[in-house]
Amino acid sequence: MNLSKLVYKNITRRRGRFLFTLLGITIGIASFVTFMALGGSLKDEIHRETAALGANLVVIPKGSCGYEQLSILTGDQMPTNISAAEIATIRAIKGLTVVPFLAQQTAINNKPVTVSGIEPEATLAFKRWQISQGAYFSNPDETGVVIGATAARQFDLKPGATVTVRGEKLPVLGILGETGGRDDATLFLSLPVAQRLFKSADKVSYAAIRVDDLARTEGYIEKIREATGLGVVSDKQMLKSVLGIVGTVNITLQMIAAVSVLAAAFGIINTMMAATYERKREIGILQALGARRRTIFLLFMLESGFYGIIGGVTGVITGLATAVIVTPYISQNAFTTFVKGSGSGDIIDIKMIAGSILFSTVVAIVAGIYPAWRAARLTPVEAISYE
Amino acid sequence: MNNIIRTEHAAKSYKSGEITTTALKDVSLEILQGSFTCIIGPSGHGKSTLMHLIGGLDRPTDGKVYIGDVEISRIPNSDLARLRGKRVGFVFQFFNLMQGLTAIENVEIAMMLAGVPDREQRVRAVKLLALVGLAEKAGAKPGQLSGGQQQRVAIARALANDPDILLMDEPTGNLDSVAEAEVLDLLQTLHRQGKTVVIVTHSDEVAKRAERIIRVKDGLVAH
Ligand SMILES: Nc1ncnc2c1ncn2[C@@H]1O[C@H](COP(=O)(O)OP(=O)(O)O)[C@@H](O)[C@H]1O
Ligand SMILES: [Mg+2]
Repeated sequence: MNLSKLVYKNITRRRGRFLFTLLGITIGIASFVTFMALGGSLKDEIHRETAALGANLVVIPKGSCGYEQLSILTGDQMPTNISAAEIATIRAIKGLTVVPFLAQQTAINNKPVTVSGIEPEATLAFKRWQISQGAYFSNPDETGVVIGATAARQFDLKPGATVTVRGEKLPVLGILGETGGRDDATLFLSLPVAQRLFKSADKVSYAAIRVDDLARTEGYIEKIREATGLGVVSDKQMLKSVLGIVGTVNITLQMIAAVSVLAAAFGIINTMMAATYERKREIGILQALGARRRTIFLLFMLESGFYGIIGGVTGVITGLATAVIVTPYISQNAFTTFVKGSGSGDIIDIKMIAGSILFSTVVAIVAGIYPAWRAARLTPVEAISYE
Repeated sequence: MNNIIRTEHAAKSYKSGEITTTALKDVSLEILQGSFTCIIGPSGHGKSTLMHLIGGLDRPTDGKVYIGDVEISRIPNSDLARLRGKRVGFVFQFFNLMQGLTAIENVEIAMMLAGVPDREQRVRAVKLLALVGLAEKAGAKPGQLSGGQQQRVAIARALANDPDILLMDEPTGNLDSVAEAEVLDLLQTLHRQGKTVVIVTHSDEVAKRAERIIRVKDGLVAH
C-alpha cells in the first residue's frame, strides 16, 4: 500500500459521485479550452486577413466604426455608400493606388458565400493573384465569376460550370490560386455586373489603397478626408480597432469559461467536504495508526489534485473535440467567419494543452485546501468518537 | 519489571460551549511492561478517555502521562503521532477497518504510515493475517467478514509495527461468546510473547483472563 494507491481507492469508492464530480470539471475545462482555442485562432486570423488585404489605407463611409472594419476582413455584407465620383476624386491624388470593392453575400446550396465586386485589372495588379484554372476577366464588365480556391473546392466548381447569383446564371470563368486569406472563399464579379445585380449603381462599399511613400501616410489620410469627407483608416488603426472588438468578445467568452471552471471548483469542494464528513472515523483510525496531520492533509489534497489532473485531461480532449467538430457549424457572422476560416491545425497547441491540464490541477488543489484542512484539523478523539 | 505506562494526577475535561464535562478527575496509575490489564467500570465513567490518554490519542488537561521515559503529554503532535504508530497498537469496539480496503490492505496501511516499503508490507501483512488465522481472507473487504474476523484483522493491524503496547477499547463488545473466546486466545498468545495488553471491557470472560483489574468509577481509579 502506498499513498497514491490509497488515494485512488478512496476516490473511486463512490463511483457515482466520482463520475459526476469529474463531469463537472470536464465541462468546466472543456469550455475553457474551447473558448481559448476559438479566441486564439480569431486573433491569428485577423492578423492574417489584414496582411492578405495588402492595403496601407482603407476608405470607408463616414462615421463607420470598428464593426465595418471587421466586416472588410471577414467578407461580410456591407452598405454601399461610396460613389464612383468619390473614388475618382481619390484617384486624382498622386502617389496612391486605389482599388474599390463592393462587398455582398449570396448563397450556394444554402451556404452563405462572400461576393466581391472588383475592377478586374486594378485588383489583379493590387492583389497579385495567380490564376490556377480557366481564365481571368478579359474585360472590365465581363459577365461571369472568378472563384477563390477554397470556394471552388467547397462547391465543386470548375471553369464552364454556372453559379446563380441573385437569380442570374453566371458562368465560372476561372479559379484563383491559393492566397491563404479570405479571398480563397470569395466569388468575384466585375464591378459593373455586381452593381447591377445588387442594385447599387455607381456605388462601392470600401476602397483599399496602397501608398507609394509610407512616410507620408498621415498626410494622405488628411488629403483624402478633405477631398471626399469619407472615413480613412490605416491598416494599423484597422488592426487595432478590430482586435479591440475581438478582445471584447474574447473577454465575454473567457468569463463564461471562468464561471464554468468556478462551478467545477465548487463541485470539487462539495465532494471533498462530503468525503471528509463520511470518512471522519477513518481519519481517526489513521491517526491512531500513526498518521500525522500533514499526512491526512496530503491524502485529501492528492485526492482533489487527482480530480484536477483527470478532469484536465478529459476536459482538454472534450474541449478540442468540441472546437474541431463545432467550428464548421457556427453560423456565418462577423466573428465566427474567422473561426471557420482557420484550420484545426492551429487549434491543437501543446502549450495550451499542458497549460489547461496544469490550470485544472491548480484549480482542484486550491478547491481542495479547505476540505483537506478541515480533515487534518480533526483531533484523533473527535474523529474516533464519531459514529 | 519496568512500568511501561504511568500517569500522574491525570485529569481530562471536555468543553463544549459553556458546558464542561469532567471525564477523568485525578488518575495516577502504573502498568507493568508485559502485563495483561483490564480496565472495567460503568459506562460513561471515563474508561475510554483513560485509554486515549495512555495511548497518546489525546492529551490530559492536567497531570502527566508517560510511555517509558517519555512524557507524552508534552511532546509535539507529530512526535505523538509517530509514537502511536510505532509503540502502540489500538483496537476499538467497532468500525476499526477502512471500508474500501481489503483485509490485507488494512494491515498494510499501518506499515505504510510508518514508512515500510511496499514489498515488505505485503510480506509482513501475510504473516500477520496468518497469525490471527485469516490467511485465506486476505482479499476480503470488511463487509465480507464476520464481526470476530474484523476484530482479528484489526488486531493484526495493531501488531503491524511490532508495538510494545496493545490498547483495546471493548474489542469483544460486539462479538458472540465463540468469537470472543477466539479473540481472547489470540490476545493471551500475544501477551505470552511479551506484549503489554490493556483492555477496556464490560465482559467477565475478558476480566477473568486478566492479571490485574483497574476499576474506573466517576473519573477516578478505585483502589
Ligand atoms: N469528546 C467528548 N466531548 C465531550 N464529552 C465527552 C467526550 N468524550 C467523552 N465525553 C464524556 O466523558 C465521560 C467519559 O466518557 P468515556 O471515557 O467515553 O466513558 P466510558 O468509556 O467509560 O464509557 C462521559 O460523560 C462522556 O459523555
Ligand atoms: Mg468507552
